[in-house]
Formats: sequence, C-alpha cells, structure tokens
Amino acid sequence: MTPPAATAGARPELVTESVPRRRPAWIERATSSDHKSVGVMYIGAALTFGLAALTALIVMRVQLIVPENTTTDPEIFNRIMSSFAVTGVVLFAIPLALGLFSYISPLQVGARGVAFPRLGLLSFWLYVAGGFTIFGSFLWRPSEAGFAALPPLSEPLYSNTHGVDTWTIGTALAILGLVCCAVNLVVTLRTMRAPGMAWRRVPVFTWAANLCGYLVLVCGPVMLAALVMLFVDRNYGGVFFDPGYGGAPILYEHLAWFFFTGAFAFAVIFAAGVICDVLPPFANKPLFSSRAARACLLAIAILGPLAWMRNMYSAPIPTAFLVFAMLFAVALTIPIGLLVFNWVGTIWGGTLRTRAAPMFAMAAISAMTIGLVGDLAWSLIPVGWQIQNTTAAQGATIAVFAGAAVLGGFAALHYWMPKITGRLVGEGLARFALVAILVGVYVFALMSFFAGVKGQPVEIYKFYGDEGLNGFNLVASIAAFVMAGGILLELGNLAYSYARGVVVGHDPWGAGTLEWFATSPPPIHNFDVVPDVRSAEPLYDIRRAIRDRTQTTRQPTRDRTPAPPERQPAGAESGSGVGGTR
Amino acid sequence: MALLAAPATASVFGPRAGHSPNADDIRTAYWVAVILGAVLIVVVHAFLIAALVRFRARRGRSPRRFTAGARAFVRPAAPLVAVAVGLFVVAIVMMTKARDVQATGPEGLGADTGLVAQVNGLSIPAGSEPLNINVIGQRWLWRFEYPGGRPGDRIFSYGELTVPVDTPILLHLTSTDVTHRWFIPSLGGQVDAIPGQDAGTWFMADDVGTYHGQSTSFSGTSYATMRAWVHVVTPQAYQHFIDQKRSQLAAAQDYVAKRLQESTPAGPKP
Repeated sequence: MTPPAATAGARPELVTESVPRRRPAWIERATSSDHKSVGVMYIGAALTFGLAALTALIVMRVQLIVPENTTTDPEIFNRIMSSFAVTGVVLFAIPLALGLFSYISPLQVGARGVAFPRLGLLSFWLYVAGGFTIFGSFLWRPSEAGFAALPPLSEPLYSNTHGVDTWTIGTALAILGLVCCAVNLVVTLRTMRAPGMAWRRVPVFTWAANLCGYLVLVCGPVMLAALVMLFVDRNYGGVFFDPGYGGAPILYEHLAWFFFTGAFAFAVIFAAGVICDVLPPFANKPLFSSRAARACLLAIAILGPLAWMRNMYSAPIPTAFLVFAMLFAVALTIPIGLLVFNWVGTIWGGTLRTRAAPMFAMAAISAMTIGLVGDLAWSLIPVGWQIQNTTAAQGATIAVFAGAAVLGGFAALHYWMPKITGRLVGEGLARFALVAILVGVYVFALMSFFAGVKGQPVEIYKFYGDEGLNGFNLVASIAAFVMAGGILLELGNLAYSYARGVVVGHDPWGAGTLEWFATSPPPIHNFDVVPDVRSAEPLYDIRRAIRDRTQTTRQPTRDRTPAPPERQPAGAESGSGVGGTR
Repeated sequence: MALLAAPATASVFGPRAGHSPNADDIRTAYWVAVILGAVLIVVVHAFLIAALVRFRARRGRSPRRFTAGARAFVRPAAPLVAVAVGLFVVAIVMMTKARDVQATGPEGLGADTGLVAQVNGLSIPAGSEPLNINVIGQRWLWRFEYPGGRPGDRIFSYGELTVPVDTPILLHLTSTDVTHRWFIPSLGGQVDAIPGQDAGTWFMADDVGTYHGQSTSFSGTSYATMRAWVHVVTPQAYQHFIDQKRSQLAAAQDYVAKRLQESTPAGPKP
C-alpha cells in the first residue's frame, strides 16, 4: 500500500505495549470484535445470503415461465418461496446495510472503536445462526407457510411439521442479532463522536445509520414478539392467533407488516444515505442541502413504519385506521421527492466523474423511483384493493429492494471497498453488470405490474394459460434472469477485486468525510490522531491545513475564502498531529 | 405508461374491464394514480438524464460549488404536496363511492326486501334490495350459500357463483380454516375472509357473462388452484338455477334417505 504523498511523514507511529501471539487468520476474523472485522463479515454473509435469495428467485421464475408449468412440485416451490422474503430482507438487505454502517460510520464520526464491540460480534453470530437455522431446515423439512408465515396457516393444525418452528427460530435469531447490532450502532454514534462532530456535521450516511439503528430497535422487537407468540401458539398451547379461543390471526399480520414496512423504510434510508455520500465527491460539489437531506430521512423513518396498514386494506379494519395509514404512505411522496431533488441539485452545476460508484447510485435512484411510485399507487385504498397482494405490488417492492439494497449496496461497495481493502473494485465488468441489473429491474417490475393488474397473486406456484398472463410472465422471467446475471457478474467482480483489485491510496476519491483520513485498510484503532472537526467536511480542512504548512509560499488557488472561523470545541486534541488547523 | 391509458390498449396492459360500479370507481382511482405516477417517473428521469448529460466532467470545466438553504425546497415541494393531496382526495372519494351499495336496476331481481344484513364498512341505503350471499372460504375452493331456506338448509354451490344481473349482491365472507381473500377483478376489490371474523363486500354486475378471479391470500399447497367464477345471468335464469339446485339437493337427500331405509349403515371401523 502506497502512503499518500500529502500525509506521509506527518503521521506519528503507534507503539503498543504488548503484541498478542498471532493466531490463524480465520480465527482472528471469526473472533475479532473490531467493528471493521465484524462489518466485513456482515457484508460477506449478507452477500452470500443474497446469492441464496437470488437462487430462490431464479427457481421461482423458472417455474412461472410458462403457464401450468410442472418443473417444480408445489411443495418444493412453497418451501423455497417461504424462505425467500426472510432471506431477501432479514438475511440480505438489512445485514448488508448494517455491515456497511458498522464498518464506515464509526470511521466517519472519528471514533476509535465502538461502544459494545463484543455485542457487535455476538450480533453477527446470532444473525448467521439464524440464517443457518432457516437454510439448515432444507436438509429435512422447511416451512411451507408463505412469505411471513401468517397464522392460521402457520398454526399446527395446518402446518404440522417443525418447518414453521425452524423458520420462526431462525428468523428470531437473525432479528435478535440485528437488534444487538443496532444497539451497538446507536450507542456508538451517540457517545463516541470525535470532538466537534456535532450532529449537524455528521455525514448523511452516518445520519442514515443512526436512523436505521433506531428503526431496527423499534421494528425488530415487534417482529420478535410476534414470532415468540407464534412459537408459544405452536408448541405450548397458546391461543394468541387461534380464532377458536378468542385469538385473532390479524394481530400477527399487524406485527409482521409493521416489521416489514419498517424494513422497507430501512432499505430506502440506507440507499439514500449512500447516495448522499457518494454523489458529492464525484460531482466535485458538496451535497445540495445536507440539512434538508437529514430532515427528509427523518421524515421517512417516522412516516414509513407508521404506514404499515397500507398493506392490509383488504382486512376487516375500521376505515379510519386505513385512512391514516394511507395519509402516512401518501405523505412519504414529499420527503422522497425532495431527496431526489436534492440529488439532482447536487449534480447540477458540478463536474460529474462517471465512475462506477456514482453510476450505481444514479441507477439506484432510478430503480427506487419506479418502485416507490408503484408503492404510492397501491397506497391509495381503492387501488390497493385492486393490486395489493398481486405481482404488481410485488414487482414494485422488488424494484425498491433491488434499487436500494442491490444497486445502492453496490454503489456503497464501489465507493468504500478501497477503504476496506485498499483496492479498487474493477469498473469494466461493473458497467455491464449495471446495465443488466437496471434493464432487468425495469422490465421485471413493469411486466409484474401488468400481470398483477390483471389479478395474478404473489406466492402462486403456477398460473393458468387462459388469463392473458403468459406474455407478461415469460418476459418477467427473462428479465429476472438478466437481472440475476448482472448481480452474479458484479458479485464475481467484487470477489475478484477484494483479493486482486488495483491498489490505491488512502483517499482515492477526494471526499470530505473522515473515513478517508484513516489508512486503507484502517488500523485496529482507526486513527492515530483523533481529528478535530470544525465543519461538515473535516477532511477538506485537514487538507487545507497540510497545504498551508507544507507550502512555504502560498500558491494562488481556485479556492475561495477559507472556512469561517469557528469556536474551538472543548477537549479537542487540536495540538497534536495533522488534525489541528492552526 | 401514460399513453397506455387509451381504452384500446387497456384490455392488454390495464386491469380487466370493470363490470360493477365499485370496480369502475377502483379503475378511476387506478388510472389517476398510474398517470400521475408515470408523470412523476418521467420528470425524475428527465432531471436525472439532464444532470448526467449536462454536467459530466469535461476538460476545462470547473464545478460551481454551491449549496442551498431551506428556501430552495419550497418550489419543488409545492407540486409534490399537490400530488400527494390530490391522490389522497381522489382515493377518499373513490373509496367512499365504491362502498355505496346501489339500488337494484331495472333488469334486476329485486329480492330480499327488509332482510338486509349489515356489512362492515358498506353503506346500504334502504330499498336497495340486495341479494345476500354467504361466501365461505375453505382450502382450496369457495362455498356459496344462496338466500332462501332455513339456516343450515340453504342452497349452496362450490367454486362457481351464479347471480342475477343488475342486482346488488352483498357477499358475507368468512373462512372455515385459514385466511383466504376474495378477488374477482372485474367485480370489485379484494376482501379478506378470516376465520372468526365477518367481512363483506358487494358488487352489481352490469352485464351477463362469466367473470373469474382467484384468492390472493396464501393458503398452502394448492393455493394456486383456488379460483372462483361468477356467472352473471338474467333474473329468470337465476330463478331457474335456484329451482334446479333445490330439486338436485332434494333428490340427493331422497337418495340418501332411501339408502338408509334399505340397509343399516356400517359405521366407521373401530
């Protein structure tokens, strides 16, 4: 790794008192409580489970490619389908985001570690144990009770094997892990920010991490409660969801939808945070309005989960509740629209370098916009009666998750992999992958929408040839394969670049946030010098300070006036190293 | 997508044609949402592409490093608020309209005066003379119970519902096992059939014909086969259907009674 020319020599050496004995690398990796190591494991595991979800999607789309297909047995199809939603959301989208948050956010706020490092490590192993439980049940008999295992179908009377039990335990373990990770994240960001790193100076990605942490803290336990009740119902004679004894199946539906709607908001906020951090350095401009971006994310975090009943318009719920759900769901248009405006304003007037990271970010904006508009349509109660629970709603949801978690995740990985490994991610293959994913998502979402509008439900293992759905399903399947091909290509690209990418310096993009102040990969303690933060772009201050000290005569620069003087924050370690600006 | 709003292409890319007032209201809301949504998508992509094309890095160009305050967001917020409020109002109006049960038309049956059971969320005006039908979901078909006869001894059919044209039909939904969902796209929206809870919906078919749909709530192995057909017929044909069903059921009862007179039933093996 070549040290950057600018900071070489200015970095003091670290002296440790005792060096522990070296253990095999995989033991180090598996047991290290360093947030960066845990973050890398989260990202790796999430991408692996993402591959599993992709496989499930391909199997299901092969089955649905022609009417009344008999390639897959209904039971097998239902088993794969029943693990698909949890794999895609709980094992892929949320952990991928949490992994990136765990790795990057402490660096971005100038922390030397996290608040509860061992809790972070525990959270990862809980999550992996949950994933293994769900997929381990495929060796014997997994759940056949649908995406969310809604009772009464998941009650023993209708699902009398232990498939639903393993599904429940696996999902609960994974969510418990995610909640532990969120505790660590939230406390770290509250208590361990560098001196001067006020909330208004925190990068938007870290602001998103904070909001996502709270979202998991609020929504995760709700799903845990639902799963525990389901488990009690199944194994210990509970009647929470048994209508025969005064229980109500719809209660589970409320709890599960609260969680999944929260997860939906989580994915959008994660991707928005990534886009807000990725666009500025490549457009050579600061974010159009960082305050507005934060406010919009906060609004999404509040309104998103509150709108959970927009998925339940067909259920016997008093109209007033449904109207409120619709109000929240429709109100989401405003913060999301303003975010898009913010992103366009960030590029506007800049000089956009069309590297892979900003291109993935813009693709994420496009795919999310399409999916979210579809969501807006079925948030209207009459339209919801028509297209919710159909592939129209599913296509929109998959477009949002593919835009947020897949495209947004790839944008984040292109942007931050040089920090994680010190190597660039290859961009030649990435362009092909990007086009394939984007075209796949567009066509898949559109064809699913048309089929769903005709009335094709989700979760069916076959459709009939006389309903005018043949063409839509054929094209949707092909589009899904194209999308899957793009994702596989990009995963291969990432895996190759992880080990053999082009080595770059510590700060390849010229960004203004603090994670690029550390070396690539960062040392175990992140920073030799805790930087002294005086603006929302502290690295620009540091660069300016270095330039002022190293240049004997001041060159005429294009920079306008230096940053306005600010009050010295109390307790700042401003005297040491390159962190100070004096 | 907005171009597809033309009625000629609606049958291919749009929803199935509505044949009931509530289905028509749903379609109105649907087209408003789809057209406004298409406009949103086009506007966002126009800006994205414009930004990408105009502001790519080129030699000799330097960025204008500006940021904005809160005031810059007033102008883009205004159309967004307008879109949100507009959609909300349209949704409320169409939801209310879709729940107003209409009175029997001139060609209708005109049955069941005074025997109107209340249905969740629907407003049923006096004198609308609806036909009350119980719809019971069970894995993996629907059972329909027609009015007339004593409770427990009603005329019923499975899978296929026969109703008179131009007559408001009140459907009382429930389920005997897991949650099912009633959905005939041409005749209105989805309604859950949940065990232990009563729900309902209505429709008034404007044309003779057969409409079909399928349950949209996952119910286990053969979920994909849980389809339903609604045969809309003239009132005379409906009366004929009911009479025919009644005599069929009576014949079946007679047959069983005769069998019981001839021999003692063996009963289940111990």
